[in-house]
Amino acid sequence: MLRTVIIRLLAMIPLVFLVATGVFFLSQLSDVDPAENIVGPDASAAQVAAVRAELGLDRPVLEQYTDWLSGAVHGDLGRSLYTKADVATSLMQALPVTLSLTFGGLLVGLLLGVPSGIWSALRAGRAGDKAISLVATVGQAVPGFWLGLLLIFAFAIRLPWFPSIGYVPIDQDPAGWLRSLTLPSISLGLIAAAAISRQTRSSMIGVLQQEYVRTALSKGLSKRRVVLKHALKNAAVPIVTVVSFQVTTLLGGSIVIERLFAMPGLGQLAINAVLRRDPDVIQGIVVLTVIVVVLVNVLLDLSYAWLNPKVRAI
Amino acid sequence: MTEALATGTAGAVLAPDRSGARITARLLHSKATLFWAAVVLVVVLCAVLAPLIAPSDPLKGDIRDGLLGPSAHHWLGTDKLGRDVLSRVLYGARTALLSAVEAVGIAAVVGIPLGLLSGYLGGWTDRILMRIVEGVMSVPFLVLAIALISVLGPGLWKSMAVVGVVYAMTLVRLVRGEALAAREELYVDGVRVAGAGSGRIVFRHILPNITPPLIVQITLMIAGAIIAEATLSFLGLGAQAGDASWGSMLSDAQASIRESFFLALPPGFAILLTVLAFNQVGDGIRDLFAREAKAGSMGVNPVLKAAGQGEAPPAGVFVDDPVLSVRDLTVSFPQPGAGRVAVVQGMSLDVGRGEIVGLVGESGSGKSVTAMSLLGLVPDPGRVRAASIRLDGRDLAGLSFDELRKVRGGEIGVVFQEPIASLNPAYTVGDQVAEVLREHAGLSRAQARERVVSLFGQVHIPDPAARLGDYPHQFSGGMAQRVMIAMALASGPRLLVADEPTTALDVTVQGQVLDLLLELREQTGMSILVITHDLGVVADVADRVAVMYAGQLVECGPTEEVFRRPSHPYTEGLLTSLPRNVRRAGRLPSIPGVVPPPSAWAEGCRFAPRCAHARPECSAGPIELAAGGRDRAARCVRSHDLTLTGVRALAGEPSAAPLASVRIEKKP
Repeated sequence: MLRTVIIRLLAMIPLVFLVATGVFFLSQLSDVDPAENIVGPDASAAQVAAVRAELGLDRPVLEQYTDWLSGAVHGDLGRSLYTKADVATSLMQALPVTLSLTFGGLLVGLLLGVPSGIWSALRAGRAGDKAISLVATVGQAVPGFWLGLLLIFAFAIRLPWFPSIGYVPIDQDPAGWLRSLTLPSISLGLIAAAAISRQTRSSMIGVLQQEYVRTALSKGLSKRRVVLKHALKNAAVPIVTVVSFQVTTLLGGSIVIERLFAMPGLGQLAINAVLRRDPDVIQGIVVLTVIVVVLVNVLLDLSYAWLNPKVRAI
Repeated sequence: MTEALATGTAGAVLAPDRSGARITARLLHSKATLFWAAVVLVVVLCAVLAPLIAPSDPLKGDIRDGLLGPSAHHWLGTDKLGRDVLSRVLYGARTALLSAVEAVGIAAVVGIPLGLLSGYLGGWTDRILMRIVEGVMSVPFLVLAIALISVLGPGLWKSMAVVGVVYAMTLVRLVRGEALAAREELYVDGVRVAGAGSGRIVFRHILPNITPPLIVQITLMIAGAIIAEATLSFLGLGAQAGDASWGSMLSDAQASIRESFFLALPPGFAILLTVLAFNQVGDGIRDLFAREAKAGSMGVNPVLKAAGQGEAPPAGVFVDDPVLSVRDLTVSFPQPGAGRVAVVQGMSLDVGRGEIVGLVGESGSGKSVTAMSLLGLVPDPGRVRAASIRLDGRDLAGLSFDELRKVRGGEIGVVFQEPIASLNPAYTVGDQVAEVLREHAGLSRAQARERVVSLFGQVHIPDPAARLGDYPHQFSGGMAQRVMIAMALASGPRLLVADEPTTALDVTVQGQVLDLLLELREQTGMSILVITHDLGVVADVADRVAVMYAGQLVECGPTEEVFRRPSHPYTEGLLTSLPRNVRRAGRLPSIPGVVPPPSAWAEGCRFAPRCAHARPECSAGPIELAAGGRDRAARCVRSHDLTLTGVRALAGEPSAAPLASVRIEKKP
């Protein structure tokens, strides 16, 4: 088990390296010179050159790359060109916000998606199933930030139950943290719920036709036990696949939701960095997100082995 | 033998019916797809005709008319700057669709050739390309888009080009996979041998093959691109402030949400409707190409109590001391174009104490459905009625699913045909057997484990203590069937129902499993109902035999007597198909034809169309099951004037074939 985890973790290194390298050289392609941006349009060429030298932007690209990479390996992701803030520090401040939101969205997705999918599968073809499928189909077409806007209006303005913007760190006020995450998590998670529900439904329907389900029924078990023990574990593999895909989507989607709810997460950082052309911050965000995505996928990969004993043997 | 023949042609007979239903279903589904395609068309028309149909300029407004509600002049009101919302929504459609076309166009131009190259060339090209795609795809879509926009700078066309590049990765993967599959297919190899150039292979053979999934993917991508445009414009990275885009309209709406909530609705619904329409069209196209999915649920229908006692069956069906006694069982299923059809009709059957009864028939005769009815496990559209189903005198008909739970696995154990498929692959066999004990006997985990070890020993699984931690896939078919038998035995049932227990097994293993059933009957005194299409199995184990044809019991009696002198021509036909006789005749003298589908069953004798002895009176009206001696019954008007051929050499040919080693003499 531990061996598998370590092998998987080592296997992610080339991927992270590839992405880091890609994103570094990509930012070199930009025709915008950050130095010009900083000194402003009226500055003289000498001023621009001075700023370039100060920022180290006049060095050969390859040298800048190796510097950045060796720093990154040691956890130093450089500094913002504008705020001079240490990138790694800003990322670590923003990460808990984004992770809380992503996890909240995933929770909403799972809590709504899995039970509704099972419920729907057990009534396949009947009115209840059709209603759920319709909701899921529509749900997949709703932009999360629009839903968020509607939720803000309904549950923050009309009924002031939740804050309309902002984020409360968990160590300051756990209840406030939960309240500040509720609306954003729902806005983010409903689309995931729709996708998870559809997948759960279809893989449950497939499993319920299997002969071992008939065997379980013939043993005199209750329907609840047959569904939740015998069918669900077998139906879970494709659901986990969708979930791992959804984690990536949610992490990206949190950017918009953070913007909508003015939460100080990676998304805010990213948007500001794009508008200001702050390459180190962008590079840091991309590398960090990839690491998070890969870590989550390693975890989910491990769950396959538990769900499907045949995989374990290999 | 007849089984193989029967399933083969039965499928062919049913095929026109099924494909007809499928096409109808698809047309019905297409209707919805056509509706959504019409919605797409309306959106496209709005986009194209926006300059003509928009009531005012989407970019100009009088700030003094700001935030007006809907009125005759402004159907959807105005925004903060006094611009007409309807006009902006119409122009927004233009922005959305043009952006989507740009992004998906770039994705197609970049992604399809790269995918073809990767899939067709394989080797290093493929490996390097797929590594890059994998890297790109591991970055969340929006994060990647933002990183790329930071290089190119914000702006709608640049942003959507970025979206296109990201989408291209999805297409590379899709096209590569399909090209790889198409390349493997035989005909492409054949073409290559014939000397066609690479270009020709790609354009003539691979591309047409991957077109359907590609069309589906591109349609769904358009929907995704519309959301992406709205999202990026909402973030200020796409359409710039003031431009008519659904995303920037929502951004404006957010700014004035406290003053006018209504502003959030028109652009939101515009996005929802457009995206939904494209998604539905994509799904509809996919369904047209996809194979029909089987519908299914865990719905099982219990046995309903029929009014009255039903007609008393003839003498030959009774036994003196029945454990199981079924009276007048009818199972009906809806058939396309024929309403509800009874697949089992007026079935009555007794199983005596300690007796082994063989229920025989070709596939489609209704024997398995009969067995499932005893447990209340007939799948959903099926409706089951019976005058009574008595187990040790207690009537099971009319009991609910939960009332029958004590009976299932408790008083009646079941063994199914495919042992490995019938065991849950996700749990150990020990756990699955223990579950019965914990459910019915209320044993603790440790007690159950101990009992499972002894059960495994009882069914001769070597090294039982070690094997109960194994999973079903680690067992051979024969061993898995022993696990199933142990599971069925676990709570000491009075009746064991074995539904084709040996059909899926090797011939040598078949004999061992049947020997085990006989041994267990000796040990426990339980009764066994063996359902099989194979009279060889019946000859091996059954004391009495009940023959079913087309949902009816056609003959019933002690195995030896029925085998020596059958009273129904169908039984005779089955007996002639026994391997022993096949060897003698040098060919497979099977009954001509197959069991017809239930909707085509004749009103008179259902076997008459296939019967060599049929007379006009056979088709005159329903034939009743009639007693033919003290313990025999048959459903044939000619059973008294026909002399049918049985298996004369029952005792004379010991172990002619392992399948039909006859042991009838040994039985009590």
